[in-house]
Amino acid sequence: MLPSCRPSSFFAGRLRRAYHDQRWPGWQVVIGIETHAQIKSRQKLFSDSFTSSLGEVPNIHVSPFDAAFPGTLPKLNQECVDLALRTAIALGSNIQPRCSFDRKHYFYSDLPSGYQITQHYAPIALGGGLLIPNRDSPIRIKQIQLEQDTAKSTFEPRTRTSSIDLNRAGTGLLEIVTEPDLRSPEEAGAYVRALQAMLRAIGASDGNMEAGSLRCDVNVSVNPIGQPPGTRCEIKNLNSIKFMQFAIVFEVHRQRALLSQADAVVPQETRGFNQDTLETFKMRSKEEAPDYRYMPDPNLGVLSIAPERIKSTVEIMPELPWVTRIRLLREYELSEQDADILLNLDSGQEHGDGGAVAYFDRLCKDGPSVNPRVVFNWMVHELLGRLHAAKLTFTDNPLSSSQLGELIALVNSAAITGTSGKLLLREMLADSSSALTPTERARSLNLLAASSEQLDVSALCAAAIAALPSEAAAFKKGHKNVLNKILGWVMKESRGRADSQQVRECLISLLH
Amino acid sequence: MRVSLTRLSPHRLRNAIREKDSSVNAFICMSPPPKSAPERSQRLPLQDVAIGVKDMICTSDMKTTSSSGMLRDFTSPFDATVVTLLREAGADIVGKLNCDEFGMGSLNVHSVHGPVVNPFQPASSTVQWENREKRSAGGSSGGSAASVAAKMCSAALSTDTGGSTRLPASYCGVVGLKPSYGLISRWGVISFADSLDCVGVMAGDISTTRDVFDTLNVYDARDPTSASPDARQRASAAATRAWSTSSLADLRIGIPHEYFPSELSDEVLTPVRAAIERLKSRGATIVPVSLPSTPYALSAYYVISSAEASSNMARYDGVQYGLHVPLPPGTNLTNTASMYARTRSVGFGAEVRKRILLGTYALTADAFDNYFLQAQRIRQLVRADFNRVFRVPDVLSSDPTDAVDGEGVDVLLHPSAIRTAPPLGAEDTDGLQTYVQDVLTVPASLAGLPALSVPLPTNDQDWPVGVSVVGQWGCDDTVLRVGQFLES
Repeated sequence: MLPSCRPSSFFAGRLRRAYHDQRWPGWQVVIGIETHAQIKSRQKLFSDSFTSSLGEVPNIHVSPFDAAFPGTLPKLNQECVDLALRTAIALGSNIQPRCSFDRKHYFYSDLPSGYQITQHYAPIALGGGLLIPNRDSPIRIKQIQLEQDTAKSTFEPRTRTSSIDLNRAGTGLLEIVTEPDLRSPEEAGAYVRALQAMLRAIGASDGNMEAGSLRCDVNVSVNPIGQPPGTRCEIKNLNSIKFMQFAIVFEVHRQRALLSQADAVVPQETRGFNQDTLETFKMRSKEEAPDYRYMPDPNLGVLSIAPERIKSTVEIMPELPWVTRIRLLREYELSEQDADILLNLDSGQEHGDGGAVAYFDRLCKDGPSVNPRVVFNWMVHELLGRLHAAKLTFTDNPLSSSQLGELIALVNSAAITGTSGKLLLREMLADSSSALTPTERARSLNLLAASSEQLDVSALCAAAIAALPSEAAAFKKGHKNVLNKILGWVMKESRGRADSQQVRECLISLLH
Repeated sequence: MRVSLTRLSPHRLRNAIREKDSSVNAFICMSPPPKSAPERSQRLPLQDVAIGVKDMICTSDMKTTSSSGMLRDFTSPFDATVVTLLREAGADIVGKLNCDEFGMGSLNVHSVHGPVVNPFQPASSTVQWENREKRSAGGSSGGSAASVAAKMCSAALSTDTGGSTRLPASYCGVVGLKPSYGLISRWGVISFADSLDCVGVMAGDISTTRDVFDTLNVYDARDPTSASPDARQRASAAATRAWSTSSLADLRIGIPHEYFPSELSDEVLTPVRAAIERLKSRGATIVPVSLPSTPYALSAYYVISSAEASSNMARYDGVQYGLHVPLPPGTNLTNTASMYARTRSVGFGAEVRKRILLGTYALTADAFDNYFLQAQRIRQLVRADFNRVFRVPDVLSSDPTDAVDGEGVDVLLHPSAIRTAPPLGAEDTDGLQTYVQDVLTVPASLAGLPALSVPLPTNDQDWPVGVSVVGQWGCDDTVLRVGQFLES
């Protein structure tokens, strides 16, 4: 059998086993990631106080339970369970018919009860996987568990005081743990991006690392290629993909240096990451690791997930990003690059109806039958281009899909020219609160393409030549580029209604 | 006697309590007299009934200290569900009652408010009541038992984790009910060991106990361990099927021989035997039974309750609320552990500290399997023991049989304690004896079963003795009915 006939995954697997990284030739890097994603539920995991967003007044979303007042008891929020189920379904994990909650004990001022309720002994889902670009086999998922977030403590060095904000205390978290399947900092980054996109698409989490709604702990080990995996170190609390990748690179070099020494040992450690020096530092050794004294929570009992509940969750699952991508390619015949542009627009923020893919869907489905690639051009190159020029993002887009759709229809039906369309878009963006429809606005701007008797192209061209005598002379002397300036004068005078090709031909014949 | 209490105006009642309590120390604080309520067209079930509440149950209008230095000045922002239910039923909640710190103890001597003195005085005694022999009221709900025994309240709420209601009821000569686990809401009840904690009811007689229990016996969505209305209904239907006539002639009473250990004193054994004989002579069938896991129950209980206690006590760290003891000047502030250690060492009493240490050890990674998991297995065995002897099926079991076992018993009967109230001051507060007192009460706690201690008639010179009636889960009504037969 020829190599080219082998199943691609087999071939890729062989290639991967021989993976050489120019940064560390001869070494294999093994990475596993634990992500903590804040669950996007209205209320906290075990209390009825609302979840909060960054920048809110401290300590306003706090119930006696969140502050661990004596006599309070937890009550499981089923919305959090549903979002965990969605995540498990998206990752193809095995949802456990019975799971339970455990207390993880440690003393810290951001943990009012002295324990975190988590799922140590029986998590809600086991197994699963996530596909990332340039890898044929999925990154295997070990488990998904539900747990509480802590409060937020901040230290003011000037006054030497710690402040505690309980707004976050008790917010639901999804802990998603991979097997040690990642082989490079770039793969680690791709995994987190794919996870973010998925979590956002199903509405389980904002997945925003900068805002702290997604945090990563990364396990890294190195070994000479062909030898068993090395001892891993865990780097805690990485809050951006960039820093995560820097941390992994630093860690690979550090561990390689240790292994190149005579005694050749990497001590198992928990390490932190310094964002200023881009270096990791030792927090504690394996021997110093705290004993969390896990205990089954005596109040919460067993959480049973009936097959019917999984079935009904599957039925209401939003479209997953990798399914959306295939749909964009097949249904609209977008190029891979264009499809990824749309998907990336969505992965930057929350979406659903407000997302870029949904906007594009509506433009194509509700609007005139226009080639989807033309629609894409208007939406991305024209609309988004203008927004970006004004330092805005797609979320700031003031135009509804029906407004943009009407504009595209005007151009498509030749009621206005493409140039007029762009002018109209500019006007619509400049005054988005206007009650005028795009057609009414085009009319008021005198943009509706005139019939030939209304617009005398030859007269306009003659006027242009008269108005720009030196340019006309230069053209006659052979400076062909000057024609564009004369043509521009005509287009401006016609308010874009004239057909530029027709004007060009007319000017050339008049100037000869 | 109960009538005389309710006849007093709330104001005079409080004065009377204050006077009497100076020799008992049952009350930690008292509520102001309620403003005279407008005449209601309909009398509420507990209209103007004076009820005291154990200080582990949260009240928004009075401090809730759990008898701990840690919460000495703590007032809860909310009322416990049971307190709300009592208020809605018209009860006059007169005050908060002394107890062992966080419910840990059998003698009510581990309290930041000082020990409770048993109000009992044998009828033959010739000294003034104030100068009576000072004996323990039992614990941990000593204040609840004593306040009822001294007729300062008609009823009192207690808690019961391993016998904290039944033991003081026995020592003080009052009725004490630990209902089935999950029937009465624990929302607002300060946790000692959540899987065992129950709110208990104490009163001078069964009928008052039942009135209060009926008021509190409702499902509460705020308590995740509250028994579902469905489970309640199934249990009560099963209980009715098993003992449909409610007549002594159809009652089968089991006498578990493991509950008559050699430590049992004659002053307890004699009245308990007499009570059994009386029931037998009135038609009840007496069946000797065996609960072979009983000897292991006590150690399992201490592992589980201490493990849960160590976890529940973790919140008392001096950060959010409660006691905070500043570190002495010059302490290294970078070590946060020293801050917690300081406050917790000062704030907790010796018994609580001891149980935290025991529970912390039981939960460490090295000990977990041998202690905590083993204890959970014993707990299952204890439960299975009970299920084997009862003729009413266990409706909470994953595989409940609907069939009523004709050979089984309706209730078990055994002494509530191995002795009468021990003298204060001479008590062996820290030794093993204190724990052995609990040996007769913890199996029902581990199994979550209803257990009722009823005082037995004794001679003029004797101290009170209680007998316990234990039923299948959800058969609280059966247990109370049997209690009524014992009372009459």
